[in-house]
Formats: sequence, structure tokens, C-alpha cells
Amino acid sequence: MKTEMDFEDLMEEAYQLPSGPAKLGFLEEAARVADVNGMVEEAYEARSEIVDVATFCGYPMKALIAFSWQLGKFDQQPELYDEETLLWSYKWILGKMPDFPEISREKIMELLEDFGARFKSYGYSERSYWYYRFRIFMDFGELEESGRSYDKFRTLDRDFMSDCEACEQDEIMRYFMLKGDDEKVLELAKPILKGRMSCAEIPHLTLSEILMPLYRLGRTEEADKYQVKGYRLIKGENDFVQSFSEQMEYLTLTNPAKGIDVLEETLVLAADHEDAYAKMLYYAKAAPLLRRWAEEKESDGYRLRLPASFPYEGDPGDLLKLADYFAEHAQTVAAKFDQRNGNTHVSSLIA
Amino acid sequence: MAASNEYRFQVNLSGMIQILSNHLYSSPKVFLRELMQNATDAITARKEVEPGYQGEARIELTGTGDQLTMMVEDNGVGLTEADIHEFLAMIGQSSKRGQQALLDGETSFIGRFGIGLLSCFMVSHEIVMLTQSIKGGPSMEWRGKPDGTYTIRQLDTQLSPGTKVYLRCTPDAAHYFEAEYVKEALFYYGALLPYPVTLIHDGVQSVVNQDSPIWLTRPELARSCRAEVLAFGERLLGEKFQDFITLTTATGRTGGIAYVLPHAVNLNAKRSHRVYLKRMLISEKAENILPEWAFFVKCLIWTDELQPTASREHFYENEKLEEVRSELGDALRTGLADMAENQTERLQKLIRLHALSMKALAVQDQAFYAMIHRWLPFETTRGHRELGELIDEGDTLYYTGSIDEYRQIHHVASAQSMLVVNAGYIYDKELMAMLPVILNHVQTERIEPDEVSMTFTDVAPAERNQYYDALRLADSALQRFRCRAEVKGFKPSDLPVLFTLSQESSTLRALEKASEESTDLFSSVLGSLSAGINSAGYSTLYLNVNNPIIKRVLTSPDNQMTPIAIEMLYVNALMMGHYAMNKQELEVLNQGIVRFIDWGLRANMNHEGDA
Repeated sequence: MKTEMDFEDLMEEAYQLPSGPAKLGFLEEAARVADVNGMVEEAYEARSEIVDVATFCGYPMKALIAFSWQLGKFDQQPELYDEETLLWSYKWILGKMPDFPEISREKIMELLEDFGARFKSYGYSERSYWYYRFRIFMDFGELEESGRSYDKFRTLDRDFMSDCEACEQDEIMRYFMLKGDDEKVLELAKPILKGRMSCAEIPHLTLSEILMPLYRLGRTEEADKYQVKGYRLIKGENDFVQSFSEQMEYLTLTNPAKGIDVLEETLVLAADHEDAYAKMLYYAKAAPLLRRWAEEKESDGYRLRLPASFPYEGDPGDLLKLADYFAEHAQTVAAKFDQRNGNTHVSSLIA
Repeated sequence: MAASNEYRFQVNLSGMIQILSNHLYSSPKVFLRELMQNATDAITARKEVEPGYQGEARIELTGTGDQLTMMVEDNGVGLTEADIHEFLAMIGQSSKRGQQALLDGETSFIGRFGIGLLSCFMVSHEIVMLTQSIKGGPSMEWRGKPDGTYTIRQLDTQLSPGTKVYLRCTPDAAHYFEAEYVKEALFYYGALLPYPVTLIHDGVQSVVNQDSPIWLTRPELARSCRAEVLAFGERLLGEKFQDFITLTTATGRTGGIAYVLPHAVNLNAKRSHRVYLKRMLISEKAENILPEWAFFVKCLIWTDELQPTASREHFYENEKLEEVRSELGDALRTGLADMAENQTERLQKLIRLHALSMKALAVQDQAFYAMIHRWLPFETTRGHRELGELIDEGDTLYYTGSIDEYRQIHHVASAQSMLVVNAGYIYDKELMAMLPVILNHVQTERIEPDEVSMTFTDVAPAERNQYYDALRLADSALQRFRCRAEVKGFKPSDLPVLFTLSQESSTLRALEKASEESTDLFSSVLGSLSAGINSAGYSTLYLNVNNPIIKRVLTSPDNQMTPIAIEMLYVNALMMGHYAMNKQELEVLNQGIVRFIDWGLRANMNHEGDA
């Protein structure tokens, strides 16, 4: 049996691990040990790491809890901590909020205002506030309001707290995607595809996002190229569940057999995901893929390889039943989002 | 002749422009500033040879879509062909005569003509300049492209002296060419320019800087036109201000208005003041022109004695800046001192919003501390109070050196109605220590946790055994609050219970508490998601056996009464400890009160019945 490790040991273990549940486990234990021993600054440090890791590997709720704690500590003694790091992670937290249907629209708007006020109080550019407002209204499916924020944020100066240009560009692409302007989406993707804009998540996200616009414009040859390249970048990464859904959507139409590979390889990542929105999209796209695959001759007698932890009791060979299972989950969650948003935006996205 | 090993740098202009736009300037919109600076310099140069000359700048927007064009015209000195070669063919060459003048910053020109013009490539793929020098010669046309190529030709017609710059906007930059935007930006940069700046669009002409106010250059007049000053600040700085302090230096070459920020500002906030050099906006983010402690104001400052850095967004740190900064700091301090003497309400309001800034200054400056000490807020066992009130209460002021120390003693201290200041926040400890120095009738004393009598005495096992049933009842009543009961003896004996938290549940509670005091946003967000968060540990409610009521509760447990009494003691302990209560706990409080009233009344009636 393992004896209790001290804070430093736990953190050291954690730092050696790749981002993922195991690393999170060590970090959480480190935070607990720090708490028990009254090591406030260490507890804060551990939670900074938790926020970082959890945000990018599918545990936005864990990130939120740790961040809330940090913010509480920070407000008590702001001089003890680095506000830049904290407010930078606030952006992650804020960006994830709309992905929880349980959080009301009002709360999200309040969070946005709180975020804006904090940025303002540190003299940061208002650009971040308007940029996140732009994103949040996109999430709500209120494109007009989102567009107004878009116009506003572009005129404001960047500062070191602004999201990187590549990330901003990707969100702008999403906006035109929602508006149905495929040409504009692809035009905006250009600097990313040419490698002039990039970061830790770009072009990873972009390469999957442009598949459907390219498909609709009949440019499948290019799309195939980007599909392969994009999948290689995101394979096995918990952070890209939404991208997997975009991959599946495209492959359903062009190469369902390959789509099934993607489904089998990524389902374990999606099923355990705390981000309800990404998971919903994934389930929504898995359903038509299974239906389409069932029509293929090769799918005769095919049983979908489900992860051991997957809570589906039925026959993995009944592809249509499985498709219903996925579709149902997606619709239930979409309905929750619709109720929160007060419109039918989310369910129309997966219809 | 030996082969020369000397070569010339081949500068890639498009690369340069990339650098300019991404690293030197904070936003493409500065192209307008650069154009205005060039115009201002040209007009200044003309005034030097023609005193009393009336300069002006005109900006015209024509066309739409990819034909959208901006023309910026000034009636300044204009350029000869030789000037064009000198300034536009050699990047970095300045229109300022003589390198030394440039370094000294003692020149009447702001811009560097060539580099300034390059910034236009951030919004346009071509720059066309028509110019006529006052020295005569033919009118010239210069056309530049971002790849570094340009053409020069003589025009057939003779233009009137001055320079016109034409820009055709790139698709990405369209919003920098919208009339409303241009108008605001021109005002923003040129609000103080001493000549008219006219915008022409759709056949409408308007002078952008019509109301350049006199009080900006003569701050002593500002107080009498308060509303105007505030409105001007709102338009230029984008915030609704309620107060301001005027600034001047001894030389009279720097001055301005320090607007008091209408919202609280953090200690580490970026200080960004707007500074006009020679009445042209030079920096929107001058961080170093006021002392560190002056983060509660946002200023409009004009100066003609400081030297800007290359991006013209800051000033060079030199002795001159040092001098100006300390003089501006003095001006602010004087403004505050005036308030302390004549308008205490105004000062009070300011301190409520900007206590941290005021404390920062007070630590540095005892005289200032003495002046404003009454209004500085502190957290104490009697709530958030102003120092003046605390002093008037006449006791020795005890303070803790850290927040943790305060935590440990504040329950017991408040139970003993002992006044303790939580001086664990930044500056507070120093201020408390300094207080007797500035006010000799006041005593302050730092207190350590173990000085407060909070030593618990254990209860002997035999005695504890007597309380077995009562403790069982207590534990089951407290279980739903994830709390357990324990018996101890402690002082003061009129304190029936003391509540302590395990670290884990303390985390959740600290969160609720923090949000209750500032914003309950995050805890309520967590509340919406709380389903998965049940792992918090147990807290402890210490029952004080030295307390007569507790003694009675413990010695005669009553299945009905004891659980309710314990619950009430629990919520009472939460209240005393300033813990935020959750709904369940509040309900216990409400129901408990009603029940006790009910019991009290019934008991009364029964007595009457007995009688």
C-alpha cells in the first residue's frame, strides 16, 4: 500500500505526467494535502495546475471548481498571487460556461460582466470582454447580438491578455459558419491553413471545421487532405471531442468505414467528457454515421467496439439501435440547451 | 582598386511594415495619428517662417467598397522633390533638422515623416501623396507600394502649398474608414490641436475639434466649468467620471486633468494615461508619467517637454520625466489635501472607491496619512469601519499581522467584543504600526493568536460519558450539515459554542463567504452544478461546558428539544463567525425561532393554566 506522499512529491509526480485524468488525480491529491496542512499558496499553485489541465482534457467542471476556489483566495489577498495567470484562466472558464446547460443565461451574462469588470480594474483592453461576449452570444445562438460584439471587438486594441490571433480567427470562422457563409469561412481559414497563424489548438480545430464547408462547395479533394492531416493532430486528445464530431460528420458523407474507425477510437474520450456541449455534438454526429454505415454491405454482422465503461446495455451489433441511443442522448441534452437559451438554436444544429 | 568589403543593408520593406504593424504600433488605427502628426509638423514648420499663419487639416472620405478612399490634406510647408528623396526614400530619416535635436527631444516637431507614413500600409496597399512646397518648385506626386517601390513625378498643374495623402482602404481595414469611426478617431487624436480639423463626407463638412477647451491649457479654470470638464473626459476617455483634480507643473510646460476613476482599480492595474505632446495625442497608454501610487486616476496630460519613445506610446525614462512625474504627483497630492481641508465629503467618496491607492500613498507619506487617516477603511471584529470611528471608540487598537492570525482569533475576540483590526491586507500592518506616530493620543498593539484566551480544556472521560445521549442527538442533528459536536471547556464562558471547519469544507464555505461579500456569482454557478460535489469533510461544533445553557442542554437531553437547540446553536455560531449560510441553514434559523416562540408562548399558557 502506498504511504501518504507530501505536497512536493505529488506535484513532482504530476509534472512528469502528460495532461489527463492521472495527472489530475495527483494534482487533486496535492491540493488536498496542501489544504490539510494549511499551505494556502501551495494549494493555490496546485489548483492553478488543475485549472490548466482540466480545462484542456475534458474536465471543465473540475476546472471551474478549482478556479472558483482560486478566485476566492485571490480576492482576499490579491497581492499574494499573480493576477495575470488567474485572469487568463478566467477566460477559459468563461468560454466553457455556456457548455453547461445547467448554468442559466443570466448567470453567464453576470459572469461575463464580472470578467469584464475584473479586466477593466487591471487596465486591460476591453477587447477581451467584447470578444468573449461575441463568443457567448454565438453559443446562445443569438447571431445578431453576437455580430454587434464582433464589430465592436475588432475596433479595440489587442493587448497581452487578448486571445491569440489564431484563436480569434477560429472563433470568427465559427461565426460565419453559423451564418452559413461557407466562402467567408474558407477565406478566413486561409492564414491558418497557410501556417501564418497557429497556436497550441490551431490549426488542430480549424482542419476539422473546414471539412463541411469544403464539402458543400464541392471541394472534397482538398477536404480529404485536411481530414487526414487534421485527424493526425487530434487523435487521442481529449480536448478535441467536438472536432471528432466534425470528422465523423464529414466521413459519414464521404467514407463511412473510416468514420467508424474514428468513432471507435474516440468514443472512450467522448463518453467520459464533462463538456456537455461537445459530448452532445459528438453523439449527434455518431448517430447518422452509424445509420449510414448500416447501409453499407461491409457492415453486415459488424459489432461496434464499445469501451468497457460505456453504459450501453444493448447489442453492439444492432447499429440502428445504437444510433437511436446516441441520437436520443444528443436530443435530450440539446433540449436542455434550448431551454436555457430560450430558442431552438442548439437542436437545430444537430437536426 | 581593391574590392570593397562594404555592403549596404538590404531592408525588406514589406517585412519592415509587418514589424511596424505587429510590434511597434498597438493598432492599425495609429495611421490616422501618424497622418495628423505629419500635418501638424508641416503646419508648425510653416508657422516658423510665417508667424501667425492659420493652419488647417481636411480629411475627406469618398467612394464605397473597394473604391473607399481617404484623403488627408494640410496647408503646411509641403515638400520639394529634394525633401521627398530625403524623407520618403530613406526610412528613418526625419524631417527634423539635425540628429542632435532629435535626441534632445527639444524640437517643435513630433513625427518622423517617413516612418509615420509607412504606418498607412497597415490599411492601404497604396499611398499617393501630392505636395507643393512653400519654397516653390513644381508640384510633386509620390506613389508608394508596400513592397518598397515608389514613383515620383512632377505634376503639370501647380497646387497650392501643402500636402495631400490619398489612401485606398484594403478589405480588412474597411472599418477604419467608416465616417463615424474616422470622426471619433480624429477627435481622439486631435481634440486639442490648435488648428481646425475638418471631416468631409457625403457632402457634409464638420470641424472635429471645434470645442478645444481653454481649461486644458489653463487648468486653474477647470473647476468653474465642472460639467464641461467631466463631459470632455467622458468623450475622450470613454468613462463617466464624477470628479477630477487639475494638474500643473512649475514650468507650466506640462499640465492636465486627472479624472478620478469611477470604479475600483487594482493595485497592479496598468496605468494608462492619455498624453498630448504639442497638443497632438501622442500616447494612449503612457504608464510612466505619474507616480506608482496614482492608479486611481486616468489623466489627460499635455506636455511640450518630454521625449516620446519610437512607438510614441511612452516616454523615455530620463531626468526630465522623473521631474515631471514627481511634480504631477505633488499636484495630485495637493488636490487631495485641498479636499481633506475643504470638501471632506468629496474626499470620503474618493477614498471609498480608491482606498488601496490612498493607503499606498499614506504608507509613503506620513503627512498625507495624517491628513486622510480618518476615512481609511479597515476590516475589524466590528465590521468594516473607517479608522476615524475606530479611534473615536477610544480603545487600544489591536491588530493582527496576517489574515490567518486574524482568522484564528476573530471568533473569540468578537465574542469578547474585543476590537481587533485585520491588518493582514497589504499596507494595513504598516499603517497600524505607524498610527501612534502620526496621532500621539492613539495606541496600537499587534496581537498574536495565543494571546487571546482560547485554550480549550478537555472534559474528563467520566464527565463526557454523562453527555453521551446529548452528544448522540447533537451529532444526528448536525449530520446533514456535515458537522459533528464535541464538548470542551473554554473562555469566555458566555460563548456557548465555537464552530470550526475542516479544510475541505472550509474551502466550500470560504467560497460561499467570499461570494457573499463581493459577488455570489461563482458560488451560485457552482450551486447549479453542485450535484457532483459532495466530498467535503466534517466541521466541528465545540460545545462549551463552562456555559450554563450548554450545561443544561447536555445534562437533560430531550429528543425533541435538544436537536433543535443544537441546530440553533449551530446556525448562531455560523452567524457569529460571519459565515455565509446556505438555504438549509437559514431555514433552520427561521423555523427554530418560530418554534421557540411557540414553545415559549405555550409554556406561558400552561403556567397560566396551572395558576
